[in-house]
Amino acid sequence: MTEPAIDPDVGARLAKARAWLSHEHSLFRSLNLKPITIKKGKAVFSMDLPDTFADAHGGVHGGLKTIILDSIFGLTVFTTLSELAPIATINLHTDYLNKAKPGMRAICAAECTAQRDDVTYVSGDLKLEETGALLATGAGVFMVGTHGLANGSVS
Amino acid sequence: MTMEVRTPDAINAFIDVSPIADWLGASVHEDDEGRYYRLKFDDAHIGNPLIRALHGGAIAAFLEFAGQCEVIDAVPDARIRTINIDVDYLRSSHAADMMARAAIKRRGRRLAIVEIMGWQKDENQPIAHAILRLRIGENSSDD
Repeated sequence: MTEPAIDPDVGARLAKARAWLSHEHSLFRSLNLKPITIKKGKAVFSMDLPDTFADAHGGVHGGLKTIILDSIFGLTVFTTLSELAPIATINLHTDYLNKAKPGMRAICAAECTAQRDDVTYVSGDLKLEETGALLATGAGVFMVGTHGLANGSVS
Repeated sequence: MTMEVRTPDAINAFIDVSPIADWLGASVHEDDEGRYYRLKFDDAHIGNPLIRALHGGAIAAFLEFAGQCEVIDAVPDARIRTINIDVDYLRSSHAADMMARAAIKRRGRRLAIVEIMGWQKDENQPIAHAILRLRIGENSSDD
């Protein structure tokens, strides 16, 4: 099994956030997140697509795709920070592409595309781990340094 | 006055067969302004354990589900598939129930565009706004 590629400096800064995600946070615990790549401006994680998030037709509901993208986008913002700071999602766009069945495993790759003052732009995609089929693409904009006023993000 | 009313059969059926509705704790209500949807708060909806704000993705998922219910009610026999969603986060959220009201802005034979507004304490101070685009019709499912 390939070891995850985690930049030591970035990984150390993110240790607290990753601990929340993997141990103390029920939503992320249910996704069984595994890091594949973590470096400045880039994060790749694999995760489960649990039955809990199925839609009316037996597929994975789009809401789970957005939850995953928002989460990994938020982590990607963290990788760009010299010190952890609260962040908030300003807006998020998600295109839903191929369908996935619950029980499958997916990979979400996100990259910081730009930063201007305290606003960070992130984009990325979600693919099936087994086939590489593209499930969703997304783009999000995040405010850094919200001093506890963060609205619904992984910050 | 707020009360739980008899939900249209199509929405009831949609909620019943949607496991994510259970995760969201989604329910349908009606007040003087019309139909609205409620997310019953659960710790699983938290995005930030320190400040206990709702997860942005959970907010988006709830707004999407509310928009889907609205279209299901308008076109009960059609299959629907979300094309995409845009969510703007307008204010801080809290560890509490969230409500949403959805309005179909345009419905054609193949496409529906729905605007959804989400709030917690005060509908006049929404925490999130979404535009949802749905493919509707016999071929909308990607099964």
